[in-house]
Amino acid sequence: MRQFKRSFLNLVVLTITICSVASCSDDENLNDLDETIFVRHRNADMPAYIRGNASEKVFLITLNGGPGGVGLEFRGKAFDEIENQYGVVYFDQRGSGNSQGNYDKDEINIDIMAEDVLALAKVMKRKFGSDSRFFLLGQSWGGALGVATLQKDQSDFKGWIDVDGAYNAAGLYDLYLETFTTTANTQIALANSVDFWESVLELVSQVDPINNVNDFSKLNRKAPEAEAKLAQDGIINSEDTGVEGNNLNFVYNPRINQWNGIQIGSIITGDQGLFQTTDLTSQLPKITIPSLFISGQYDMVVPIVSAQTAFETIGSASKELLIFNRSGHSPPFSEPDRFATEVLRFMDEHKQSSATDYN
Amino acid sequence: MYVLCIQAQQDKTDDSSFLDKTEFKVGYYGNVLWDNGLNLGAEYVWKEKKKVKETKKGQKTITHQFLVNGILGYSTNFANKTDNGLHTYYGLIWRRTSPKRWQFQVELNPLGYYRSFLPETFKVDGGDVSKVRLPGRSYYTPTIAFGIGRLRHGKRRSGWYLNFNCAFRTNYNAGVLPTYSIQYGHRFNFKKKK
Repeated sequence: MRQFKRSFLNLVVLTITICSVASCSDDENLNDLDETIFVRHRNADMPAYIRGNASEKVFLITLNGGPGGVGLEFRGKAFDEIENQYGVVYFDQRGSGNSQGNYDKDEINIDIMAEDVLALAKVMKRKFGSDSRFFLLGQSWGGALGVATLQKDQSDFKGWIDVDGAYNAAGLYDLYLETFTTTANTQIALANSVDFWESVLELVSQVDPINNVNDFSKLNRKAPEAEAKLAQDGIINSEDTGVEGNNLNFVYNPRINQWNGIQIGSIITGDQGLFQTTDLTSQLPKITIPSLFISGQYDMVVPIVSAQTAFETIGSASKELLIFNRSGHSPPFSEPDRFATEVLRFMDEHKQSSATDYN
Repeated sequence: MYVLCIQAQQDKTDDSSFLDKTEFKVGYYGNVLWDNGLNLGAEYVWKEKKKVKETKKGQKTITHQFLVNGILGYSTNFANKTDNGLHTYYGLIWRRTSPKRWQFQVELNPLGYYRSFLPETFKVDGGDVSKVRLPGRSYYTPTIAFGIGRLRHGKRRSGWYLNFNCAFRTNYNAGVLPTYSIQYGHRFNFKKKK
């Protein structure tokens, strides 16, 4: 009996030791994070995939495109480099990717989704400490969501990185008509994919000059095709997701993604008319934190004029606009090295600044 | 040439014990690529009808059964930490067993429940952040399934089944999420040997 008690005691001590070591390992692994946590807010549970080197407790929170895209879609060569230096938080927004919940349609809108992002920042501070520092990066739809977030509260963020942001979604229709025409004429003059670009001009001549859902969809679907032709003709770089790719095949069930995309697409772009009604230009002057705008020269999805206007309108005293000459709508994948370099430089420059420096 | 039908007869198992009318099942549950798991269940013969056909080669018996069905299972996605779930559902199975012991079945399980299990979760309510205990969500999840199988007469391991299952997770986000899976498993019983 005594022997048994001793063995049992040894087992308990060993178990406690192993558990203690395991629970301490988070602190030791801040320089190589690979964690998934969930944020519960307004009846939604949304995963945040935290990766990279957070030894300085500097995190880049990313907002993907869509609406209906997935947080981890950023992963690839550029973000691998960023992860080597800083923590990166990939966030599946409400109704997207592996997020789940139980809520009504009226609990999906850009306003609540912006509150979700602020909730994520609060959770990150709770988990990693109040001395954590954040940068916010939004691409395409994520650009609009980022502006909506920052105009509510920018005090938690050291800087804002807008990558082809669609903060003026309602203005895209006119930009499509203008950019498609200009680009098509230029490419026809260069004798590049003439048949395709003539079909683009034909589409532009057929659609209504007034923004409407059906014609917007036609133009929006044509934009990636146009970028594919530009890549094929060597005007822009093809997308490079790195040697390993972003390995999303088994992380996300594509059928559920598709279902989520249809759901959220029908609510935000259909019922709420994102591309007919949303223009956050008037919110830009309220943003005063350091801002970096990155746009592809040949972005056909959110044309470059959008970034130029945002750069001129934003209230930040410290701001930059970078044009990626060999890119369309995906600078992180078409020019990954330059993208990583510029984002890291921006974060290095502003990670020590305090909010009062810019208010 | 088959001659005529036939005679329908009620099963004589009315006075059988619970175990004589019950089969248990265990099997794979999932969609192979993303979610994989295990199902345990039981089926209880509620109604049974046997049709005996007289043919030149002798008698052929076709059995139609209604069975009460209950399942408990767990599945997970090994590639992420977000898709773990326990499910249980209850309903009826209609099953036809051919003279050559091949089976075709349709399941309707209106009473279904799915509970997701999430990793570390923090709830944000206004300015307050709190850690959630046993994070996850519950969904009403009725299912339908159809499939095939084969019966082994008089054996403890009494046959296999292969079902295609569709579950409706309600209310998932702002809608009803249909999830598809296959179920492959074996049935077994503890019937008294006669």
